[in-house]
Amino acid sequence: MFRFIASFFTKLIQMMLQVLSSKKHIIHNLLSIYVKTSGGQTVCLDIDPKCDVSHIKKLVAPQINLQPDELKIIFAGKELADDYVIEECDLGQQSILHVVKIKSPKLNEVFRCSTPKANLSPLTESLDYSTFSSEDENTEKPLERKAHFYVYCPNCKGLKQGKLRVRCHFCKSGAFTVHSDPQDWSHVLQPKQITGTCENDPEYCQELLQNCEPTFAEFYFKCSEHVSLGECDQAVPLDLIRPNLRHIPCLACLDVPETMFTFPCQKDHIACLDCFRSYCLSKLLERQFWQHPEHGYTLACPNGCLNSFIREIHHFRLLDDDNYDRYQRFATEEFVLRSGGLLCPQPGCGMGILAEPDCTRITCQQCKYVFCRNCLQGFHIGPCDPVEPSLDAQGNCDVDLNCPVVEDPSRTTIKVITKPCPSCKTPTERDGGCMHMICTRSGCQFHWCWVCQTEWTRECMADHWFA
Amino acid sequence: MANIAAQRIKREFKEVIKSEEVAKCAIKLELVDDNYTELRGEIAGPPDTAYEGGNFLLEIKVPETYPFNPPKVRFMTRIWHPNISSVTGAICLDILKDQWAAAMTLRTVLLSLQALLSAAEPDDPQDAVVARQYKENLEMFKLTARHWTNVYAGGPNVNPECDEKIKRLIDMGIEEHQARVALSSYNWDLERATEQLFS
Ligand SMILES: [Zn+2]
Ligand SMILES: [Zn+2]
Ligand SMILES: [Zn+2]
Ligand SMILES: [Zn+2]
Ligand SMILES: [Zn+2]
Ligand SMILES: [Zn+2]
Ligand SMILES: [Zn+2]
Ligand SMILES: [Zn+2]
Repeated sequence: MFRFIASFFTKLIQMMLQVLSSKKHIIHNLLSIYVKTSGGQTVCLDIDPKCDVSHIKKLVAPQINLQPDELKIIFAGKELADDYVIEECDLGQQSILHVVKIKSPKLNEVFRCSTPKANLSPLTESLDYSTFSSEDENTEKPLERKAHFYVYCPNCKGLKQGKLRVRCHFCKSGAFTVHSDPQDWSHVLQPKQITGTCENDPEYCQELLQNCEPTFAEFYFKCSEHVSLGECDQAVPLDLIRPNLRHIPCLACLDVPETMFTFPCQKDHIACLDCFRSYCLSKLLERQFWQHPEHGYTLACPNGCLNSFIREIHHFRLLDDDNYDRYQRFATEEFVLRSGGLLCPQPGCGMGILAEPDCTRITCQQCKYVFCRNCLQGFHIGPCDPVEPSLDAQGNCDVDLNCPVVEDPSRTTIKVITKPCPSCKTPTERDGGCMHMICTRSGCQFHWCWVCQTEWTRECMADHWFA
Repeated sequence: MANIAAQRIKREFKEVIKSEEVAKCAIKLELVDDNYTELRGEIAGPPDTAYEGGNFLLEIKVPETYPFNPPKVRFMTRIWHPNISSVTGAICLDILKDQWAAAMTLRTVLLSLQALLSAAEPDDPQDAVVARQYKENLEMFKLTARHWTNVYAGGPNVNPECDEKIKRLIDMGIEEHQARVALSSYNWDLERATEQLFS
């Protein structure tokens, strides 16, 4: 009796578990997708990801009054073959497939037989990193063949994995098939690199272009970590962030990271994301970003490589929110300086101010400091005081002469004072040693004398380096 | 941020310790604190130079932003060299300023400083007095540098003539190092040095 009850309960529990797990199975595996017709009609489908494309055709056809073999399904720039299993393309929840009517089914049949399978799968499947970076084909990494794209997602507010998508450059329809695969980032990031066929309304697009140029593909990215919010939901490609397939060590901490930031210098200079953040932060706080005429407020490779500026400034989104705000403020200030404006000289303020050229009394809107435009000292009537040679600097030298270097530790205690760079007026600190100052602000790099507060000369060295 | 600097210095430290230069006693590196923010370097004066036989101590301070900014390096041992301040030990070397690259290491810095001792660049001087002597009277410069190496860096070349002149000034109540600086600056002309010291 007791054994009977025990086995009964065991069975019961097993049954309940089965029900639970199968229910879980169903909930987790159903994929909600949209199928959009060229007529603008949208069909919503809940499908099993294990089904293939022909199954979708069978589901959609009756809803738009066509036969399944009259349809072709387009996703991410490619027509999907009938036997293609949905699970194998990276469709997320609420993804959109495009369905168009085949002009002449017979002709298409012939075409399809002669097309290799790779061409009938979505782009994100057929691309891999060997085509997207200049790697040896020999590198054995069979598991990581799939391309990984990183994006800044404005919705999730952070660095996420991204998915590559394609649409018509002219009518923006996703019912578009590419004629060739993009071979590198420039094909994807620059407009009008890859041609294709717009399946939305070929006549419309060709008419629009009056046959003077082919229909071009437009590539864009979606965040793969949130459910698609529709066709406008896009993410910014961060093309310099890539998987570190060749195990290159970070130039700063020397670790070998999985995901790396690649500096655009073609010399394998890479950093792990933490070090890239630190690099940005330290250069930001020293105002050593460059105001590049094309790319904006940006940085180059920390090894000083030529022409290695980061083009996509969204990479600086890797900074935390506070510092990204600071980045934007500094960028604005740098822009102010370049446009002939000036920065508030008050320590800790540095607000960018655009003032009338003949106005000498400047009021900082942020800290309310009122100062003279010419000498950046507090506002005064009459001519500016000439900057007197610093007594402190002379004094320092005298002290130096009498103190033995090794014995006196207090000598190394450095008095920090700031003076404005004579060229750009950025407050600059002297941290001991040389009177020979080099302005650290990028774009200035003026060599000046701490004592004279003018350009550094041979006379400065001879006259007051050692008092 | 400090994390990266410390982690990097830790690795570099190991690299230097294992390097062949350390094996040959050409360079040395020691930790001053446990946070890897301050180190003490040592370089041997290169052979066939006025610095031969001397050992030069260096103060190395690692900024929080290392390796994106250069370490701050200063000679702690007094040295007579056109690119190194005879007063503060400050160094005028481009890689320690605007030519620094994140790929450089403490080892490359020590080796570059050693190279600087072999080949001075008097056209980009840190010490104008030394640079002038280097350009106008190379023999006098070598004599002076050798003497300083002997006195401050443990070099083998004793120069009785220099020692004698310094002693004369000490007898007049001048502090020894001050006397040496004055004589060195005036090409060991006792009369002119005395004049300058008492003017
Ligand atoms: Zn997202
Ligand atoms: Zn179109
Ligand atoms: Zn790193
Ligand atoms: Zn580089
Ligand atoms: Zn202000
Ligand atoms: Zn004024
Ligand atoms: Zn400046
Ligand atoms: Zn000066």
